[in-house]
This record gives sequence, C-alpha cells and structure tokens, in this order.
Amino acid sequence: MLKYLMKRSGIYLIMIFLTTSAGYFLAVSSLKPAVLEQEKIPRPTPEQVAASFRGLGLDPELNPWERYVQWLGGIVTRWDWGRSPNGAFVNAEFADRVMVSTRLFIASIILTLVIGVALGVYSAARQYKVQDRVITSYSYLVHILPAPIAYFLVQLGAIGINEAVGQRIFFVTGISTPGIEPGWPAFVDLVAHYAVPTFAMTIFGWAGYQIAQRQYLLDNVNADFVRTARAKGLTRNQAIRKHALRVSFIPVAQSIAFTIPAIFTGGFFAEAIFAWPGIGLWSIQAISLQDVNVATATLAYGSVIFAIGAILADFATTLVDPRVRVQ
Amino acid sequence: MSTNTSQTPAERLRDAGLYAPGDAVLSVRDLNVRFNSENGVVHAVRGVDFDLMPGKTLGIVGESGSGKSVTSMAVMGLLPETADITGSVRFKGKELLGLSDKAMCKHRGSDIAMVFQDPLSSLTPVYTVGHQIIEALTVHNPTMSKQAKEARAVDLLRMVGIPSPKDRLKAFPHEFSGGMRQRVMIAIAIANDPRVLIADEPTTALDVTIQAQVLEVLHTAQEETGAAVVMITHDLGVVAGMADDIMVMYAGKPVETGTVEDIYYNPRMPYTLGLLGAVPRVDTSGKQSLVPIEGTPPNLALPVTGCSFAARCPMVSDACLHGEPELFPVPGVEGQTLGHKAACIKADQLSGDADAHKIFQAPPKPVSKFDGVARAERAKVLELKDVKKHFPLLKGALIKRRIGTVKAVDGLSFDIREGECVSIVGESGCGKTTTLLEIMEFHPDQVGEVVIGGVSNKVATDHKTKMAMRKEMQMVFQDPTGALDPRFTVYEVLAEPLENLGMPKAAIKKRIMELMKLVGLQPDHVNRFPNQFSGGQRQRIGIARALAVNPKLVVLDEPVSALDVSVQAGVINLLDKLRAELGLSYLMVAHDLSVVRHISDRVAVMYLGKIVETGDVDDVFDHPRHPYTRALLSAIPVPDPALERTRERIILQGDLPSPLDAPKGCNFATRCPVFAALPAAKQEKCLTLEPPLASEKEGTQDFACFFPDGEIDSDMLVVHA
Repeated sequence: MLKYLMKRSGIYLIMIFLTTSAGYFLAVSSLKPAVLEQEKIPRPTPEQVAASFRGLGLDPELNPWERYVQWLGGIVTRWDWGRSPNGAFVNAEFADRVMVSTRLFIASIILTLVIGVALGVYSAARQYKVQDRVITSYSYLVHILPAPIAYFLVQLGAIGINEAVGQRIFFVTGISTPGIEPGWPAFVDLVAHYAVPTFAMTIFGWAGYQIAQRQYLLDNVNADFVRTARAKGLTRNQAIRKHALRVSFIPVAQSIAFTIPAIFTGGFFAEAIFAWPGIGLWSIQAISLQDVNVATATLAYGSVIFAIGAILADFATTLVDPRVRVQ
Repeated sequence: MSTNTSQTPAERLRDAGLYAPGDAVLSVRDLNVRFNSENGVVHAVRGVDFDLMPGKTLGIVGESGSGKSVTSMAVMGLLPETADITGSVRFKGKELLGLSDKAMCKHRGSDIAMVFQDPLSSLTPVYTVGHQIIEALTVHNPTMSKQAKEARAVDLLRMVGIPSPKDRLKAFPHEFSGGMRQRVMIAIAIANDPRVLIADEPTTALDVTIQAQVLEVLHTAQEETGAAVVMITHDLGVVAGMADDIMVMYAGKPVETGTVEDIYYNPRMPYTLGLLGAVPRVDTSGKQSLVPIEGTPPNLALPVTGCSFAARCPMVSDACLHGEPELFPVPGVEGQTLGHKAACIKADQLSGDADAHKIFQAPPKPVSKFDGVARAERAKVLELKDVKKHFPLLKGALIKRRIGTVKAVDGLSFDIREGECVSIVGESGCGKTTTLLEIMEFHPDQVGEVVIGGVSNKVATDHKTKMAMRKEMQMVFQDPTGALDPRFTVYEVLAEPLENLGMPKAAIKKRIMELMKLVGLQPDHVNRFPNQFSGGQRQRIGIARALAVNPKLVVLDEPVSALDVSVQAGVINLLDKLRAELGLSYLMVAHDLSVVRHISDRVAVMYLGKIVETGDVDDVFDHPRHPYTRALLSAIPVPDPALERTRERIILQGDLPSPLDAPKGCNFATRCPVFAALPAAKQEKCLTLEPPLASEKEGTQDFACFFPDGEIDSDMLVVHA
C-alpha cells in the first residue's frame, strides 16, 4: 500500500515538473511586463526598463530557454521562485496567499463533501418522494446559478441579518478586523469573518456530490448483491446502507481528485467577492500584470494540489474497494 | 399411468424429521402480480397455485417472460414496492403477503432462502466471502458468538465443497470463479437451515461441468437441511433428475402441473409437448428434426381472452379462443388423477403416445447432396495446420516484463469438408473463440496455416485475395441483438455485404427478397428495424446477412445460446435446412452439447487450447474415449427423469486451470478422473509425456490419452439412486 502510494507520488512529481515547465514557457513567451512599464508616468526608456528587469532576473533580452534555465536554477539551488516586475519576491507572498486560500476553503471542502454525500444517500433512499425532489431540484438549480450571484445573495442575506438584529454579527468581506486583541475577541472575530464565505461556498458547493452520490447509489440500489443481502434477511434500508453504499462511494471517491484542485485554484470568485486575497485571485492578477514568475508559481501550486487530490482519491479508493488492493 | 409417488414425501420427511406429512411448508394460492409500465399494466403472474411439501422439490419450468422468476420474487417479498401483488403465500400456514419489509425479514434467509442466477453479480464485491456468510448468521442469530459464527461459516464452505475453507473466508468474491461464487451463494442460503430453498436458474450462467458440480452441491444442501426446494429453470434437463413435481408456466400462468413422470412421459398440454420435442438430446443422434413452436408468447400488457398459447398451438380450434382454460385434472387410469392437471380443453386428445413431431408438423430431416458422398471424396473448405496463438503475460507499469505465456490455442489442426458441420466444444476459456478469431484473422504472420477454399493465409498478402476469402466464409454471432446495428433497417443490414461486392441495385433488391424467404421471414418486413423483431427472428436476420454473399462456409459462434428453447428449435431446423439446400459447411462453437450432437457431423473437444478428442459426432458421443469427453458428456442433464435418476455422473473437481500453470505432461491430469485412480507408476507417464492425438484403429475418432476407457476414480463418480 505504502509502496503503491510512493510510486504514485513519484509519477505525480514528474507530471508536476512537466506541467510547470510547459507553463513557464507559455508564460515567458506570451507575458510581456515591459509593455505595462511603458504606461508609467514619467515614461521610462526601454533601456531603463530592461536594466531594472535584468536586476530582477526578468531580462527581456534573453531567449525563453535561457530564462527557463535561470529560473529553474534559482528554484533548484536556492528554492527561489523569482520576483515580480514590481520587485516583490514570489516566495515572500506565496506562503501568505496559500494560507489565506487554505483557511478560506478547507472547512467548506470538508462540509460540501460530507453534506453532499449524506444528502445524496438520503435522497436516493427516498427516490421520487418529496424530500428527494426538493433536494435534487435544489442541486440542479445551484448548478446553473453563477457563483458570483450566489455569493452576493448570501452577502445580502448576512447584511439583512445584521440590519434586522441591529448590530454587526457577520462580516461579509475581509479576513479579520485589524488591531483586534488576541484571545476570545480574536476568535469571535474570526468566526464572524469566516461564517459568511464558508456558508456560501458550502450551500452552493455540495450540489455536484449530491447528484453524483444519488445517481451512483440508485445504480446500485437494485443491484443483484443488494437483493442477495435482502434475501439473507436484511431490511431494504439495511441492505442499501451496508452493501450498496460502499460500492456506490467508489466513483465518488475518485471524483474528489478533480474537485479539490478546482475549488482551490478556481476559487478566485470567492476570494474576490469576500475580499480574501488568496492564491486564485493572485493567479488572475499575475496574468493581468504580465507577471511570469507568479503565474508559473500559482500553476505549480495548482498541480501540487491536484496531485494531492489524486493521491487522496487513490487512497480512498483502495480503502473502500478491495479489488484495487491486489496488485 | 403415473406411479404412486405419495410415498416419497413421507420418506424425505422422516429424514428431515420435522413435519407431519401432508402439511405443505409453502402454499401459494391465486398469486397475481401486476406491474405498471409505460405500455400499461403488465399482468406478469396470473393466478399461480402450488403447494410445496417438506423435503420435496418443485421444478418451475418456463421460457423467459413466463413469470417464473416473478413468482419466486413475490414469495420472497423482493419485488419492488410498485408491484401490485394479490393472492396468498403461506409459510407453514402463516400468511406472508402483506407483511412489512421488516416483518418479512424474519422469514427471509431463515425460513425461506434463495439462490440467484448470476453468481458474478450476486455477491457484494467489497466484502469478504466470510463477512457475507457471517452476516446471514448474525441477522437471524444476534446472540451467537463470533467464534461460533466463524466455525459455522467454515462448516458451510466445506459443505458446499470449497477447498481450504478457513483461509477462503478472508477472500473477496473477485478471487473466486463463477462456480465457486455460486457455491458461496448456496452456503449463504443454507446458513440458517431454511425450510424452503428457492433456486432461480442457479446454473444457467455456468459451464456444464461446473453446472454438474453446483447441482450436486444443491443436492447435498437439500439432504443436509431437509429443505423443500423450488427449482426455477428453462432447462428441462436440469429439473428432470432433481424435481418431484413440475409446474410448467406460460404467459404468467401454470399450464400444466404434475409429477415429473406425468410431465415428461405424459404431457397433456400442447405447449409442454412442444417444449419437450424442441429440446435436442445429447444421448440420441439427431436423425429427426426438432419440434419448432412458431410465434411468440402473448403481450401480457393486453388482457388475455382465450387460451394464451392458442396463437402458437397447432391444435387450436374456435373453442380455444373463447375463455382461458383453467387447470383441469387430467383423467388418468381408473379415474385416478394424482394431481396431474393441464390447462387445455383438448388434454384428453393428447394421450401418452402423442407425437409432438406430427402435431407440430416438424419438417422432415433435410437431405444434402453431399450426404451420399464419402467424406474423403469431398473437397476441403477449411483446413487448419498447427495453428497457435500464444499471448504473452506481462507485468509492470512502465517497463513490461514477460512473466509467462497463455497458450490460448496450442497447435490446432483439423479440416472441414463440403456440406459438413464441425463443432468445437469445451468449457469457457478452452480456446474455442480464439480459434474462430484466428480463422477470421487470416494473416500471413500467424503461427500455423489457415487454408480457406484453397487459399492459404501464407499467400494471401493482398487485399483482393482477402476479399475473395471473406466471400467464401461468413460468420453468425452469439447475441443477435448486439450483432445488428439498431439504426439499420433489415434491408440495409442485408444490402451492405452485397454493396461491398459491387452488385447493382436491382440485383441487390432481388437477392434480399430471396434471402428473406430463405430464412423464413416475410419479405415485406425488410424496412423494419431490428428492435421490431423477436430474438429468434433477429438471429434469422443474422443468418441471412451471413448468407448474402453465397459463402461456402459459415462460422457459427454460439448461434442459439441466447434464444429460448422453443425459438431455438426453429433456428436449428433452419440451419439444418440451409446446409442441405445450399450445400453449406458449418464451423460451430457451442457450449450446449445437445445442440452440437443434433446438428454436427464431426466434433472436436478442446481443453486448454488443444484438441483432446475429435471424430464423427456419433462415435465421440456414444463411445467417448478421452476422460474429459466422458466427464463433459456425463455432465449434461437429459430431459428424461428415469434415466437421469439412475445415470452415472462424473463430477470433475475444481475449475478449468488457468492456462498459465498448464502442466508439463497431459494438460488434463490435474482434474482427470482416470488419472486419480491410476497407480503412481502409471501416473508418472501422464505427468511427463504429452499424449499425442491419434486414433486407436482406422475409421474411429482421434483422442489424446494414454489410458482411454480407464477406470474412473470413485470419488468423482456420483449416482443418485
């Protein structure tokens, strides 16, 4: 098992290297930060721009391969992911950005997964009854509702609550109140900031899991082995819970791999709307600022998250499916 | 007429030691099941009555859609909630219909247990076999200790014949073969000593040798538990030896009930009569054509007004169309009835000597122009010389290592002459299908030579020769539904091969009309889509497609195994007729040896990629020399209860070994019943030398065994007296 996971990790490492390198070449050949420098007032001469970029390790006169070797050398020898055109170090900002994103998403990832799977099971067991129709219709509705609108609606709701109560219970944007004293007040402040984005992302996030889990479970509810379990003397619900559920979770476990990175790296709407400056927002900003090194670093991070998601999915699959264990 | 079998339950009862005679353990009265479907209410089961006596076996026989499985599911309370079930199902006098799922659970698995058809999907893939057996024990014995349950599970596995049961408890279902899984299913079913065991087509998905093993296990299980058994099957052979009573179902209704002797020797309902005549028999040579039952069962979404079989019955008269006949007692000798009932107003016209062939107007056995010509004088249409197909077995994700070789086909040589039918038989995995694929492949790089119509694959390098070869040889596939493009009309299906040959449009049209008539379809149906035809008709379309280009050789891959018995007979008769009229040769692969016996002239028995015995079908079937052939033939149940009860059966141990660990000497030694009985000195020969395929004397079959007709090991020989 451990050997198997090690082997998978090795393969993913190679894949991360390849995607990141390809991403770097794409970025270095299409992003031209010098163009933006030209819009500064007073307008710098091209020589000045080139000189300042040379100092940052972004020499526009080198060809992409030379830039790549220089950049890769920095990472391998000093773990230095380079600098932005404005002189900021990627390394310095990266950790903060990752922390912000992780804190923003981690609770809702776990909640969407648990609630989505639970509701999927609940609605499958009550197929075509009122509960199932309500839950599943809700999921489809959420699927077609664009995320920004959904998040705004939640913000409006939170503001409405604040107004109704007459004091500010929830913060609809921001990470924390500056200058708050540590201890209990800081914790209350954290929860007040955390509640709205987590709530919004959770209630608009579980739809995919719910629909998938419901579907896979329904595929298995009438499976021959569930019938066998009932013929043994288990009630229909016991048979479904003990036999169909685990089998139906196998494909859901595999889909986790693809949803976790999507949430992390595609979460820029949430980050922008709730004003949590995380990694998703950063990657979008990097592209608009023609920032090669940041764009590549966020891409590398996305690949790593994807690999972790995939390994988690492999792990979950081997846990629930004995047929995978024999190798 | 009927022998007095009322003694039998009393005897069995004594073994069971539980109930007073005459008390039915399960009685079903006026059971009706209706399903709501898009096409209206389908009345799937229409008034089923039966009583199951303790320790007795009731066989429910019928074709697909006859309501036999729905009946059993209704008894178990396993039908979907949407099904409308009326009537009465009583277990030892207690009404089961209408019980809640929870209340029913007390009976399911403890009083009434069930074995299902498909063992591959009937076990939960993510739990160990032990877990699944123990679960059945836990549900009904919550107080039983863990050790006791485990010990019981080991006992059960041993009882159903699983080697090293203690270790196998921890194995997952995917580590078992189909036959082994069905044994586990039986172990689960008998875990709580049920009084009633329902087996729904328990062996249909299995090979014949494995079928014999599983039937043997069921027999043991019944003896051990004293349970009454309901055996549901479409195979009249399977129940002949096992059942005490038979209920024949048609269109959701029992049409004839009685003891096995009544049903098999004195059928009084034309359907039963036809069904018995429609089954080819492995123990008699196919000198007579089979009894075809034309038409299809009625649509149960429409109300049945007359006799449900009237549309297909050759004895139909006006009276049959008005009012559905009830099950009437059959007047027996001296006015005794003994429970033999038939739902036919003409039951008394069908006395014991009724001839199904005459009544159903079975066609005469067709005579081919080649029948008079000696085999040696006929031209060869196909010849295989030492054809081999070895698959490398690889391991490793990126860099593949060769860890072994699967010898799927290992040195096959045989020929087919004009006008004859050669069949290849053997268990699944023996290389039958690979042989067909190798012939169809027809590539110069193949190992061995394939000669079709005088053209060798070694010289057929250009497209033109290959096309000429394809015209000589055509194929008919197993699954008629899958083999026809659902978006093509029959016309398009049949026109495609002809267009390929560049035939003009007018000629194609003419040829298609000819073909439709040839295979017994109405020519004006050419513009219909395949889904508008029944299974048998679709297979006829498949045959017409194969014949379109006038081939000399038709390769038949399990041509009738997907069809119901009554439909199968019609297709076999058609194949017989076409061979005689058109002078075709057939190469057939089939697992049903009765069908093989009926239509083949020659047969080749394959085991692990090699032919172990080959020769004229009557020689091989009447005097099998190789122990494998003997075992294979003895595994086939015969639809004749008296014969079936006294017949000796060779039950092979275990499954077909993986071709990977094929032994060095004789492939079959590991399972051979003769080998097991040999003294050690002689066994040595089997283990080290490979027996050659040769005949003992001129003009008889070839076989590959050092000790033909050897004594069979007594452990593998079973007789039910």
